[in-house]
Order: sequence, then structure tokens, then C-alpha cells
Amino acid sequence: MQLFLFQVLNGLGIGMIYFLLSVGLTLIFGLMRFVNFAHGAFYLVAAYLAFAIVGLTGSMVLALVIAPLAVAILAVATERLLLRHTYRMPHEAQILITFAIALLIQEVVIMQFGPLGQNVPVPQALSGVVFLGPFVYPAYRLAVVAVAAVVAVVLWIVVEKTKLGAVLRAGSESAEMVALLGINVDRVFMATFALGGALAGLAGVLAAPLRGVEPFMSAEALGIAFVVVVVGGLGTLSGALVGGLLIGLVQSIMSTLWPQGAHLMIYAAMALVILARPTGLLGRT
Amino acid sequence: MDTPRFPNVTTLIVAAAMIVLPFVVPATLASQIAIFATAALSVTLLLGGAGLLSFGQGLYLGIGAYASGLLLRDAGFALLPTLLVATAGTAAVAAVLGAVMVRRQGIYFVMLTLAFAQMGYFAMLAAKDVTGGENGLSGLPRRFDLFGATIASPLSFYVLSAGVFGLAFLAVQRLLASPFGSVLTAIRENEGRSEAMGYNVRLYKIAVIAVAGGIAGLAGSLHAVFLGFVPPTDVDLEVGQRMLVMSIIGGVGSPGGALVGSAFYTLVSEALSELWARWMALIALVLIALVLFLPGGLWSAGRHLTGLLRRRDADG
Amino acid sequence: MPIERRTLLKGLAAAPAALAAPPLLRHAMAQSETLDVAAVYSLSGTFANVGTLLNNGSQWAMEHYGSVLGRKINYILLDDRGDAGEAVRKVQEAMSQRGIKHIIGCTNSAIALAVQKEVNARGGIYVQMAGADESTGKDCNKANFRWPVASYSAVNATMRPLIEKFPNAKKWYTITGQYVFGDSLLTNVKDVLKEKGLQHVGNSYHSLSDREYSGYIATALASSPDVLAICNFGNQTLDVIRQAISYGMKRNTKILAIWSTGLDQFQALGPENCEGVYFGCNFWHGVDTPGGREVAAVVKAKTGDVPNYLQACGYAVAQVLVEGIKKAGTTEIAPLIKAMEGMTYEGPTGLEKIRPEDHQVIKDYYLMLGKAKSAMKDKNDFAEVIAATKAFLPPDKTGCKMA
Repeated sequence: MQLFLFQVLNGLGIGMIYFLLSVGLTLIFGLMRFVNFAHGAFYLVAAYLAFAIVGLTGSMVLALVIAPLAVAILAVATERLLLRHTYRMPHEAQILITFAIALLIQEVVIMQFGPLGQNVPVPQALSGVVFLGPFVYPAYRLAVVAVAAVVAVVLWIVVEKTKLGAVLRAGSESAEMVALLGINVDRVFMATFALGGALAGLAGVLAAPLRGVEPFMSAEALGIAFVVVVVGGLGTLSGALVGGLLIGLVQSIMSTLWPQGAHLMIYAAMALVILARPTGLLGRT
Repeated sequence: MDTPRFPNVTTLIVAAAMIVLPFVVPATLASQIAIFATAALSVTLLLGGAGLLSFGQGLYLGIGAYASGLLLRDAGFALLPTLLVATAGTAAVAAVLGAVMVRRQGIYFVMLTLAFAQMGYFAMLAAKDVTGGENGLSGLPRRFDLFGATIASPLSFYVLSAGVFGLAFLAVQRLLASPFGSVLTAIRENEGRSEAMGYNVRLYKIAVIAVAGGIAGLAGSLHAVFLGFVPPTDVDLEVGQRMLVMSIIGGVGSPGGALVGSAFYTLVSEALSELWARWMALIALVLIALVLFLPGGLWSAGRHLTGLLRRRDADG
Repeated sequence: MPIERRTLLKGLAAAPAALAAPPLLRHAMAQSETLDVAAVYSLSGTFANVGTLLNNGSQWAMEHYGSVLGRKINYILLDDRGDAGEAVRKVQEAMSQRGIKHIIGCTNSAIALAVQKEVNARGGIYVQMAGADESTGKDCNKANFRWPVASYSAVNATMRPLIEKFPNAKKWYTITGQYVFGDSLLTNVKDVLKEKGLQHVGNSYHSLSDREYSGYIATALASSPDVLAICNFGNQTLDVIRQAISYGMKRNTKILAIWSTGLDQFQALGPENCEGVYFGCNFWHGVDTPGGREVAAVVKAKTGDVPNYLQACGYAVAQVLVEGIKKAGTTEIAPLIKAMEGMTYEGPTGLEKIRPEDHQVIKDYYLMLGKAKSAMKDKNDFAEVIAATKAFLPPDKTGCKMA
């Protein structure tokens, strides 16, 4: 019973990390109906930037500032140079071009950093464990969960209380409507990409000490992000949160009950949700 | 789409290319091109014909490959029945999955293809006693008899692969030119209108998913026969992506594109991989350029070019 | 009419075929005085991280030897891009169309198992570094030689010294990759535990693409084991270690990674994660042997650094082939295989011997213990060897029936 409780807590922890990983993907989809297959690659770039920055300066804080910013710039550049031209094309073109961009980024990372995995040390202050009642939990993981929670709150405020948020919400209803409101859609799209990129970047930096960095980490991240946003509901903030927590829980609890099936279950769950409730568990039907 | 006349220019070009191929590249490489051209045809039919984007066609290639491996090794099947059973069996699986998948459209359809492909991979690993798990399925026969001819040398495998591709190519071409193909085109252009016109859109989609699955299964079957082995990568997500990339590069507007795409991808990777291991970057760049500037793929480039020439002829 | 007889077609195909592959053209012109050796590695794709270094090792070894029996060694890389199907196709092409008979290398077990069948059927010789037991077990054949140890050896060479050192470590927990290799390790672990009367308090399976292990680690923690034995390979080993440590598992539990690649994994983990963890390794640069010194010199000249396992492994398979040819005095396949059976040579881990019954190289497998950062004498001094053991299944137990 105690183990089960711990798996639940641990699953919620994994879930918050997954939320962070997926929220950028869902924001971009929500506003632009744009499926960004390069989301995982943005995450990858940030993780390697963190590796480089921590290696040079030893400062995780610096990595947390620079890497998301750099990835936001990368995301905007990608949007301005390439993706902008595909908005009028069918979904398929957008999927294919971001898929190709992801491939390109991955190859460039290997050119730059080599194909072998590398270590990013956990910051000294967070390298221990904390005792939560009868359980031990890594201090660093706890910090990541806290950051993810802060991000969730900040994003919620942005979406609910700011003009950008109003546009985001309107956009997820109907993109034409936003244009009719006389808002500079071009700028909003750019801002959304910057935000989505920065969030992927933040996730990448925070994940680096948890997993280390290696050039193929983007595919796994993208797979998880897809499952999370599809299960929760594509395009909604709360969907990413609930989807993340749910997948985290499933993964953690399954590892006690039926570990072999954990992955099979996750993808089966994704297929089931798409079929039974295509807008996700929290999406509007 | 191509004109329904037969044999049209596309068919002649493809036939000529298949004959020339083994003279310009080693026979095993030519076989690889033919096998993956068959696989890419599956995507061409789905995406070019019905507008259905699938990242998961690798699943069907994998099913065809593993089914053939087991039939040849454990059930003692001969070559022809193996190819036929693998194709039909994979088509049946695709029909069942298709019946589920057609309930969703657009991005959700894409996600379903991804989910099923992933499940297929994990199922292969879980059933390692049957599939050999990450070690692959080995010990397949290395010699085959087909209509009195022995198939064992690289060239004979090429003739087999090219023949199978030729048949699949003609089947796809005929299918797209048929009334069935016209309905698919209508669905691709405007699904709602086709529905309103009284077509059972879902049924048409299931049918095309089944045929495309069968073609991918046939390619997988051929791959297993050709290698004498089923590599676990055959059911990996990557193989589905590769099929997609090939058909996009070649162009999904014509079944000829599948051959061009397969040849381009295979030859580029072959020529570059030992010189520059990061050749995938080049493929990615080509893909980006094609999406932006030439959505019809390399095949349509050829068409544009001949169009220009013709116009010049007319002017002069 | 059999298709075989179209010799004209074949002849015509041969000339332009050469154009498609430049290294091959050179080979065709200089065939008489050179010896072509093909190496099968993955330079791109998801296995590129391993393949690149293995290839370096083999290529540098061949450059180091330069020639054998007066014939210049021509090293031909066959890049399979991580795809076992491509590996088989390229080997078919190399053997049937370029006439190459001497093949080395593999990047994963699927590739080795498929290629060893291919090479045997086409009358060649193959020296490789698969991890799978089947390679010199039920799938063994005349043409095939394997340098690293099988799972039985890895388990016995690590567990037994550890048990001796800590007789009070009674409770063992395992985290296992649910694939063929992981299961082979697990089976052997269970056998040893049973024989020693120790308690197997639980096992968690994970799949080939898992990256999140905290759930398994929590389950393991709940049974408070004395030892956590990790039965998987590659990046997954690193992830399990990293996450087990982050959950504070090192405090009460000894962590044993049965199958590790050593230095490159230590670098990926960093000294803070390696400290106090036990690793099983096929090679360690700190072991001073004549063969090891030779590898070190060759790698040093290229990278300025010490050799890691992958480079040494790539070196070793090349070395086995060349030493075999020297001993046989010919490159002819049948006498070469005969000469290699029972051959001893100064390999990277010391005096190594090829067992004639299953063509397994008999060599040491190391149990290593990660050092604290402060105890490291140089940047590569991550761990010390605490046991070096030659533990092998008797040939009649491997399931190998050599035809």
C-alpha cells in the first residue's frame, strides 16, 4: 500500500515533467492548428546548450536563462524563414516540414557534439534527496516539479488574464476570428512560436541532469509530448497538465503492476482516447 | 493523376528505368531500390490518392516481413504462396485497423497511425519467442524456385523484386485511374462533399488503407526473402518514416514518384554514408525545399521540365 | 530458362557497378597485391554512437598492421546505417560482387547474427563483437568468431567476486531490459543466486525504449535490496544508474551494472555518479598487458587519449583476423579457420585464446568499482579493477553445434 502511494506521488512528479515537455507543443497547436514535429528537436538543442554552458561555466542558472532564450530565437527564425510559408498549405505540409527540420537539427547536433551521450551534473545544492514522510525523493526532481508548477501557474495567468491569452483562446476557437478582430496575426504567431520554443527549451535544460544528453533524446520526448497532448486534449493548457499527470501516473503505477506493458498501454491509451474522445479528456467536444 | 491510357509515358519511363537500373548499380542495391519503391508506393497510394498521411506504414511492412519469415522458415511455404499470403494477410490487418482509424481525420488520423506503429514495435519485442525480439528472425531459406527458375543470385533477386514492383506499380496506377480512384480523388479534395454526394467515404478509405497495407506487406515479404532474414528495424517507426520521406521526395502525385524517391534516397545514402555520415542532413534539406517549392516532388520536376521543353518546341 | 545464365547481363552490370562505389574501383585494379577486409558498422542512425568508435578501432588496427603476409590490407567500410537489413545486403554485395571473404565488425547483435549466417553461407570468415549468447551458442557456425564474452561470463565474472566480497548481501533486486539480451543476463543471474542460496527479492522489466525508470526504482526501493543488478545495455544502463542514484539508492544498496562499456559510459555518467557503483566490463585501459599497451599506443596516436572499450573492441576483432592469417600463413578460408581454432595471442586484455568448439574468445571480464572524484589520478581514472575472471560456460552447455 505504501509502495502504491509512493508510485502515485512519483507518477505525479513524472507527470509535471511531462507537462513541461508538452505544453509548448499544445500552445502552438491551440493557436495555429499547427503540429510542430520539431518540438522535440527544440528540446534537444536546449539540453545540449545546457551541457555546453554548464561545462563552460558550471552554472545551471545561466543555462536556464540562456538556453530557453536561444531556443526561442531558433523557433522564431524557423517560423519566419520556413514555417510561415506553410500556413496556407494542408496540415500534411506542416507536419512534413517540421519533421524534416527536426531531422536536420538532430544531424547538426551530432556534427557539433558527436554521437555519444554526455553527462550534465545535477547542481551541487540539489544533488541530495529529500524525505517526504516515509519516502525519499530526489531534491533535483522536486525542484523541477516546482518549476513546472510555477510555469503552469504563470501560463494560466497569461492565458486567462492577458491580451495574448485572449487571442490564444480566441484562436483556438477560430483563427479567422482573430484576424477579423484586427489583430496582427503575424506577430501573434511569432510570439507563440517564441513561447513554445522557450518552453521546449526550459524542459530540455531541466531534463539534461535527469537524463544526460544524447542526440536521439528528441524522438522519445516528442513521442511522450504527443501522447500527453492527445490524451489531455490538443490545444488546451489544462489538457497538457492533466494529460501529463495521467501519463506520469500510468507509467509509474504500471511499473509495479505490469511493467512489460507500460509502453504498450501508453500508446493504446492514446489510440483509445483519440477514438473515444478525439478532443482529449478535457477538450471541448 | 496520370491519364488512364495504357501504356502511358509514366509506365514506359518506369519500365525503362527498371531495365537500366541493374546496369548502373550493383544488383543488390537495385533490389533494395525496387523493394523500397514498392514500399513507398503504399504511401503514394494513401497520400497521393486519398490524402491520408500515415507515419505508420512501416507497421505493415513489418507484418509482411515477419509473416513471410515465419511462413518460409517454420511452415515450409514456397516463395509464391508466401508472397501472396503475406500480402493478403497484411491487407486484412490493415483493413481491421483501417476500420478503426477512419473514424478520425487530419492530425488525429496521423496520431493513430503513429500509435499503432508504436504498438506493433512493442508487440514484436514482447513476442520475442516468435519474432526473435531485438535479434531479428533469421534462418530463412536462401534459394527459391519460381515458375521453374532458380532465385539465388543477386541478379535473380533483382528480377524478382523488379517484377513485383512492376506489378504493384501497375495495380496502383490502374486503381487510381479507375472509378474507385476518382472517388478517392474526390474524398481527398473535399471529404464533406463526397459524403454529401452519397459516397460511403469511410468504406472507401478502409479499402484504400487495406490495399496500401497489402502493398507495404508485399514489400516487407520481398525484403525478408531478399535478405534471408527479418531485421527488427523492419517494424520500427523509422521504416515508416523512411517510406514517407521516399514517397514525398519522389512525389505522391504519380506512382512513378515512388521509384524516383526510393532511388534518390537509397543512392544518396549509399553514395554519401561512407564519406559523410551526416547524409541525413542532406535528405532533410531536400525535404524542406520540396515541401516549400516543389510539393509534387522530383517526379513533378521532370514533368515541369518536359512541359517547358514542349512549350519551347511549340514556340519554335 | 534459369535466370542464372544471363551471364552477359552480369558482365555488363559489373563495370558500371564499380563506378557507384569509388573505393571498390581502386580495389578492382589492385586486387592481386592487396587483401580486402570489409568492416560492417553503423555510422549513422541511432547506433552511430557505438558504430563510429568501433569502426575507428578496426580501421586504426588495420592501418597499424598495414599488411599481412606481404599483402597490403585494404580496409573497406560497409556502413549499415544501424539497419540489420542494410548490413546483410551490403555483405551480400561485398561477397558476391566484390569477392570479399574476410569480414569483421557489427554494431548490434541483430546485425551480427544475420551477418554470421550470410558469411558462413557464402564461404567467408567473420570476426565480430556481438553481445548475444546465440552468436556462439545455438546460432554458432564455422565462419563466425566472437570477441566479447557471453552473458553467462559477464554475470559470473561480476556476481561471484561481489558475493565473495559481501557475503552479507543476501537480497538481490534486478532491473531487466525485456529483450533477448536482458533476459539472457537475468536467467544467469537467477542461476547464480539459486546456487549461492541468495534471495531474489524481485525483478522489474522495462522495454527497449524506456527512458523513465523511477517507477521501477521505487518498486526496487520498497523491497530494500542489498544489491541492485542491472541487466540491460547501452544508454538504458546509464539511465537506470543515474535515476537509481538520484533516488538515494546508493546509500543502502550496492548497484551492479553487469554489462557496461566502461570508459565512455563513465564519461557519460560523470565521476559523481560512478563513485561506489560496480560495473562489468570487457576491457579497461588501466589493465597493463602487452596487447593492451599496443592498443593504447595506436589509439593515443590518433586521439591523444586512452582507448575506450569500443575502440579496443574494434581493434580486437581486426587483430584476431590478422593474427589468424599470420598463423595460418594463408588467407584461404578453410585453413584460416582451422588455424584460428585454439589460437592464442596477446590481445587487449592479456593472453587471449579462441576456443575451437564454439569460436568464442576466452578472455578476462572485469568487475570494476567507480572511484570518488578526489581519488582519480587522471581524468580517465574513473574506476579500479577489483576482479578479472575468465568464466565461461563449458562448450557442451552453450547449445553450439558446429556443422
